[in-house]
Parts: sequence; structure tokens; C-alpha cells
Amino acid sequence: MKLIHAELIKLASLLSAWIAAGLATILPAAVAVLNSRSQVSRGIDAGFQDLAPGVIGAIVIGVVAVSSEYLVEGAESGGGRQITTSLTAVASRSRFLLAKAAAVAVTVALLALLSSAITLTTTSLTDETVSVGTADLPRVAGVTAYWILTALLASGITLVTRSGIVPLTFCIVNMSVVSVSFLLTKLTSWANYLPDLAGMHLFLRDVHGSVDIAPLTGGLVMGLWVVVVAGIGFIVFRRRDA
Amino acid sequence: MVPAGVALAGDMLSIHELTKRRGSREILSGLSFEARPGRVTAFLGPNGAGKTSTLRILLGLDSATSGTALIDGVPFARLKDPLTKVGALLDGSGAHRSRTARAHLRWIAAAGGIPPARVAEVLAVVGLTDDARRRVRSYSLGMSRRLGLAAALLGDPEILVLDEPVNGLDPEGIRWIRTFLRERAETGRTVLLSSHFLGEVAETVDDAVVIHQGQIVAQGTLSEVVGEHGTIEDAYFALTGAPRGGLR
Repeated sequence: MKLIHAELIKLASLLSAWIAAGLATILPAAVAVLNSRSQVSRGIDAGFQDLAPGVIGAIVIGVVAVSSEYLVEGAESGGGRQITTSLTAVASRSRFLLAKAAAVAVTVALLALLSSAITLTTTSLTDETVSVGTADLPRVAGVTAYWILTALLASGITLVTRSGIVPLTFCIVNMSVVSVSFLLTKLTSWANYLPDLAGMHLFLRDVHGSVDIAPLTGGLVMGLWVVVVAGIGFIVFRRRDA
Repeated sequence: MVPAGVALAGDMLSIHELTKRRGSREILSGLSFEARPGRVTAFLGPNGAGKTSTLRILLGLDSATSGTALIDGVPFARLKDPLTKVGALLDGSGAHRSRTARAHLRWIAAAGGIPPARVAEVLAVVGLTDDARRRVRSYSLGMSRRLGLAAALLGDPEILVLDEPVNGLDPEGIRWIRTFLRERAETGRTVLLSSHFLGEVAETVDDAVVIHQGQIVAQGTLSEVVGEHGTIEDAYFALTGAPRGGLR
């Protein structure tokens, strides 16, 4: 527990984590307001669809939780990196990583719940055709799981790259601007099982994929991706010189 | 000063036949030495000799190709409460630039189960109390090093492992750290510091280990290492074959 506490203090004292928290809570609500002004009926996924871009906040938290360890202090202050402090304070690399993953998961879960509450309330207030009730709770759980898994995926990739630039650029572009995964589904239906697309089924019911995936299946497929990618990150991190 | 060979209750650092290869290059070739409790041991050598690599292996950051580096008989990775056993200072401050000194020390204290009140204590010890709420990015090199030292002292450890601790400190800071390290040793603790600043360490250390191109060229008490060379500086240049004036 004390290691998770330490990792939570680290996140809470990082400016980029606060910006990410802002993105995660404000962006979906803003999208919900904009969407409610359009005349198009949005059907079953109203509100939940708006929560999808908020995952950017989760990605940023997943990435910076790891990349902040490797940021070089700057030549004038001696070129140190926080990772040396972390690993001399916690001798076990496995326990260090598990604590970090737990801190990321807890933080992102809280943000997902908060953001869902704000966004779904906004949606039901601004769009009379939508009513949100307790029947939607499993989908809120789905959004939360999707955000946590995405954040852990981002952390896992960053463990390998040791810099936030590549994973941040790739994940954000893929999730928000052009979905590479979605384009790939035009080539092969296997692309529906890429983590982001499979995971969407956790909370969206009207996904225009070429394959029908049940929510639980989607979650399991995404979970498997996380286990593989984070597992590779874990092994690389344990073996490599810090 | 505690004479050599007297065993104290404190903890020892022992490095045995340590070898490190990176690619085809051998950085360390069969290093063996000890740092004993109650004594300040200096690890001397020019830049690139392998000082930092040795300390990083000792602290479990890098792996050795062969050989062992043990803290009180166990490798660093097996220590239960590393912060109370070993305080480490490596490059810079070891803090993220956007954190304040206080936030940095707070997470370390949390990780080690050290009471948060200790944070203010170590900040006072290194003289950073007034700058504790400033972000580390605004720190000078000297201040960064002081913060790194504060982190090393959080757990009031039995052993201090310091990589170039005087580097970046102003004369006042250097004088302070000398006194401070002597006091640590006199309470029976172990201090291992690396340095390429000879003058600054000569008055502080009991034992010296001189490394050159990944191999130990001399070790023993300071007087043994100085031997017939007259001064530690003369001994150093004779042992490492470094051209005079070739050092920073």
C-alpha cells in the first residue's frame, strides 16, 4: 500500500497529470453539449459515444506515469533521471511496477466515473430524447474498464520506449484524429480485434464494425492485449539496466 | 577515525570480481574492494574509468556480467527497506523537474514508510528549507545536488553511496559535506563516495580505491595508497597515467 501511496503522490504532483484529468472530465462533456445541438438523433449510444474521446486523458496519465521516470533533468542540473531515485527507494522492480499500475488504474477509474457522471448528466439535460438511468450502470463500468485498460496499454508501450513522445502521438492520433485501427478493418476483419476497437464494445452498442463482438468478449480481447503488451514492458523493464 | 580492521556493528559494502560488459566493450574487469563501517572510502578515477558503473551495479540499477556487489551480504534487490539501509546519490537531483523539492521527498518518504515530518528535517539539514516549494527545474546544480543528498538521508541510512557528491557544490557546500561525511563515519556508518576531485576528498577519506580503465590500480588506507608518492594527487597521476592538467 505504501508504494501505491507513493505513486499516487507522484501523479498528483505532476502538472501533466492534472492537465490529463482536466481533459478526461471536460472534453467528453463539451462534446456532449456540441452533439446535443445537432439535429441528428444519436440513438442508443448518445452520451456514451461522447465519453470515447475522454480516453485521451487516460492515455496521457498512463504515458506520463512512466515517461516522467525517464525525463532527463537537463544538463545544467546534472542529467539525472527520477528512475534512479525510484529504484533505490524500492528495491523490487516488480513491486514498483505493480504499484505504478495500481496508481494509474485507481486514478483513471476515478476520472472515468466522474467524467461519466458529468457527461451523462449533461446529455440527459441537453437532449430530451435521451434518458439515462440505472440500467446504464453496466455501460459506465464498461467505460471505466475501457479507460483503465487503455491507460495500462499506454503505460506498457512507454515502458519499452522510455519516452512519452511516440506512444502519446500514436495513441492520441489513433484514438481521435484518424483511427488507424478502423482503417485496417477495411482491409481485414481481424482488425476488429485490435485493442481499441474490441474495447469499444464494452460501452458502445452500435459499433459499425464488420464483426459482431459482445461487450464481455470485447473487454476480454482488450484485456488480453494489455496483458501481452504490459507483460512485454514488464519483462523489458526488469531485465534492462535502468 | 576508526582504525582499519576493526569490525563495527555497521554494514559493509563488498564488491567481488565485478565485471561488466556492454556489447564488446569491457567496462569493469574483475573489480574487488570493500567499504567498511566507520570509515569514509573514496573511489577515485578519471571520468569514464567505471566509477559510476560500479556504483549503479551496487545499487541494483545495472546488472553485472559476472561477480557480486553486496550490501551487508545481500544484493541490493533483496533489501527489504532500502531507504533505511542505503542512501544513494547519483546524477543531478534524481527528481522530476516539474515537482517541488517537498513533493519529491514526500513520495520517497511514502515509498519507504518514513514519517512525512522527516522531509522538513532533511531539507533543513541540506539547507533547502527556504526553497522547498520551488520547482526543481529552477534549481542550480548545487541545489540539485543538495536535494539529491536530502533524498539519500531521508531514511537515516547505515550506508551512504555518493557519486561525485562534491560536484557542483560551492566551496561552502564542499566544506559542509566534508564535515558531514566525517560525522557519519564517526557514528559507525559506512560512506562510499566517488570523486575525480582529489584535493576535496583527501582531507575527508580514510580509505581509497583507485580505478583506471575498469581495473583497480591501488587500494588501501589513504596513507597506503599515497605511499611514496607524497600526495594523493601525485599518487593518482602515477597510478592512472593520466596526463597532468588533463583533468577537469
